[in-house]
Amino acid sequence: MRDFLRKVFLADLFEGLWVTLRAQHPKNIVTEQYPAARPKVAERYRGAPRLNINPENGETLCIACDLCALACPENLIVVGWERNPETKRKELTTFTYDTSRCMFCGLCEDACPVDALELTQDFELASYSREGQIFDRQMLEEGIHPTPYKH
Amino acid sequence: MPETFLDSTELVLNMGPQHPSTHGVLRVILKLDGEKVMGTECVIGYLHRGVEKIGENRTYAMFNPYVDRMDYVAAVSNGLGYCLAVEQLLKVEAPPRAQVVRVILTELNRIASHLLWLGTHALDVGALTPLFYCMREREDVMNIYEKYCGARLTTHAFRIGGLIYETYQGFEQECLEFCDKLLPRIDEYEELLTANRIWQKRLVNVGVLTAEECKDYGVTGPMLRAAGVKWDLRKAQPYSGYETYDFDLPTRTNADSFDRYIVRLEEMRQSVRIIRQGVGRLEVGPVMAKVPKVIKPPIGEAYVSIEAPKGELGYYIVSDGSTQPYRVRVRPPSFVNLQSLDKMCRGGLVADVVAIIGTIDIVLGEVDR
Amino acid sequence: MADDPKPEGTPTPESAPAPKPEAPPAEAKPEAAPAEKPAAPAAKPAPKPAAPKPPPVMETEPWEGELPDALKAEFGEQITGFLTYVGQSFLTAQVGAAVPIIQYLKHEWGFDYLVDVTATDDPAKPERFELVYILYSFSRNERIRVKARVKEGDKPPSAVPVHTTADWLEREVFDMFGIEFEGHPNMKRILMPDEWQGHPLRKDYSILGMDQKWVQDNLGIESGQ
Repeated sequence: MRDFLRKVFLADLFEGLWVTLRAQHPKNIVTEQYPAARPKVAERYRGAPRLNINPENGETLCIACDLCALACPENLIVVGWERNPETKRKELTTFTYDTSRCMFCGLCEDACPVDALELTQDFELASYSREGQIFDRQMLEEGIHPTPYKH
Repeated sequence: MPETFLDSTELVLNMGPQHPSTHGVLRVILKLDGEKVMGTECVIGYLHRGVEKIGENRTYAMFNPYVDRMDYVAAVSNGLGYCLAVEQLLKVEAPPRAQVVRVILTELNRIASHLLWLGTHALDVGALTPLFYCMREREDVMNIYEKYCGARLTTHAFRIGGLIYETYQGFEQECLEFCDKLLPRIDEYEELLTANRIWQKRLVNVGVLTAEECKDYGVTGPMLRAAGVKWDLRKAQPYSGYETYDFDLPTRTNADSFDRYIVRLEEMRQSVRIIRQGVGRLEVGPVMAKVPKVIKPPIGEAYVSIEAPKGELGYYIVSDGSTQPYRVRVRPPSFVNLQSLDKMCRGGLVADVVAIIGTIDIVLGEVDR
Repeated sequence: MADDPKPEGTPTPESAPAPKPEAPPAEAKPEAAPAEKPAAPAAKPAPKPAAPKPPPVMETEPWEGELPDALKAEFGEQITGFLTYVGQSFLTAQVGAAVPIIQYLKHEWGFDYLVDVTATDDPAKPERFELVYILYSFSRNERIRVKARVKEGDKPPSAVPVHTTADWLEREVFDMFGIEFEGHPNMKRILMPDEWQGHPLRKDYSILGMDQKWVQDNLGIESGQ
């Protein structure tokens, strides 16, 4: 009998509708207004790569050990270096990082012994051409400059 | 009516590969007699990337991120299976703390995978709203992943021998908060769907696959449990310390799409139980076992399988003693489960095909690898 | 991938590990293919050459118990070995006996779930393929593997009449290795396109390898790389 009445008065449908209506309250809205509002990105986020520089003297932290290039599953890092004849140390000349093939696994970051290479919280990596996906040393040190959104 | 009035020969209909309800790039060739399905044939491989071949050409550590890309809605489970298989070959075991974190993250992953399944399955069947709610809850899991390892979907959270990331500040609390939040939400989904007459009409007695047929087709996971077989690798052959957790295996007996829905919802509740127990067990300790820098397992082979959200996910790895695996075979649950589609669809209606594809819970990235 | 411009000197992702397929069998199993041995150290990231010590082998232990005894009585010489490695038991059998063994195990011992059918390839051996059937028993909660070596061109019997699961799994083995199964109801490619030439998971198929003609005809591009 109860089942019959529930069926006649569409109780099952109204129960469902009540759930839907409850979620309409403004405090339940969870949509982020990107790009007008910036999303909060976690501290450990693996986004755009960056080559860190020493803040004191502006020199690169990279010691050109090539470990990141060896650790990379996609072989997309190329480290160029030359030996300084005075100090007999390797010095970084070029650094190319092809983000178009990168899967942001973080293995290069793990391999880096001096915390020079880092995947940062920048996530806006789109570009108009494939060349734009290949980061050179300058870009890696300065970071990406996404076009800011205007209303 | 004379038979010649309408041409009553079989009609061949292509469903997919660009069809919203095939969850990716599955193409099903349907042979129809009117609305009745006389036979189906799956055409797969559109997403084939040759993961197994890639595995043979990468070192053990390098291959780890690739496995995330097979079942991308349950990337953590994939990673766990792979790490366990290599650990078995190396004969090492992850430290206790790492195992607890692994269990917590894998169970969160199970919830996320089931939530996505529920949302998309409901969408296929005609209920639009649950998708938004499920995505909302799934977002919390994704946020935990993002905070824990820096990626949301293809996480690369585990490493061979343990973990590379320590849990972040407030990890335990966020997990518990999520659990507290999820349980009433699951009740909400039930309110929306379980008693709903349209939902029942579309799912009850649709896509029946009995226990015997399940075993014959090698179907595992929630589909097997919905057929009444109380079997789960977490209980049958426990790994990562699952034998010490207290949880139940939900089973049903009707073996239809509706029962699979109930089983999956109940599994989410059980996962919440496991997460709560796991959070209580987090003790200070190392998270990485002693693993050589260059991973070189001795010559040998091992098959290790885990209970992924979709069924038994196995890795069969052959090592020849070098730094790269000689052969990596993935036993994908989606691929094997999809095979039973023909059996379930035969004799049903066209509209049921959509519901049945949904109920198998496939991810084409895993079917095609 | 070819059309994305790369800076000079960027290696393609596959170029470094590509020589691998020939190298590992030569180093791991030195009794075969000694001609390729000098190439092995160059292809390895680890610079150590193969040690002159006796070659390492898989440290297996014999598998003993009720089940192997019963199998031995039933199949005799057709089963060539019962072994265990890291607690996982497997048996090696002659290829003709594989399906009867699976059938026997299913009906007499309750191994009612065929988990996986796969293969490995070792071109250096005369019987280059090794078929691997992974079986599980719900009642015994036990998992075993049945392995059988297959020559190139041989047609092993299909396991589909015993386990329906084998249908797609055997098709995948055919697709990836080119092993045709006798008596399979629908022996055609499953993952690769039907007209594709070559079998990708064979060791002599380079990771950069592809069916150039198929790619040009069907995709309208010069190369898939």
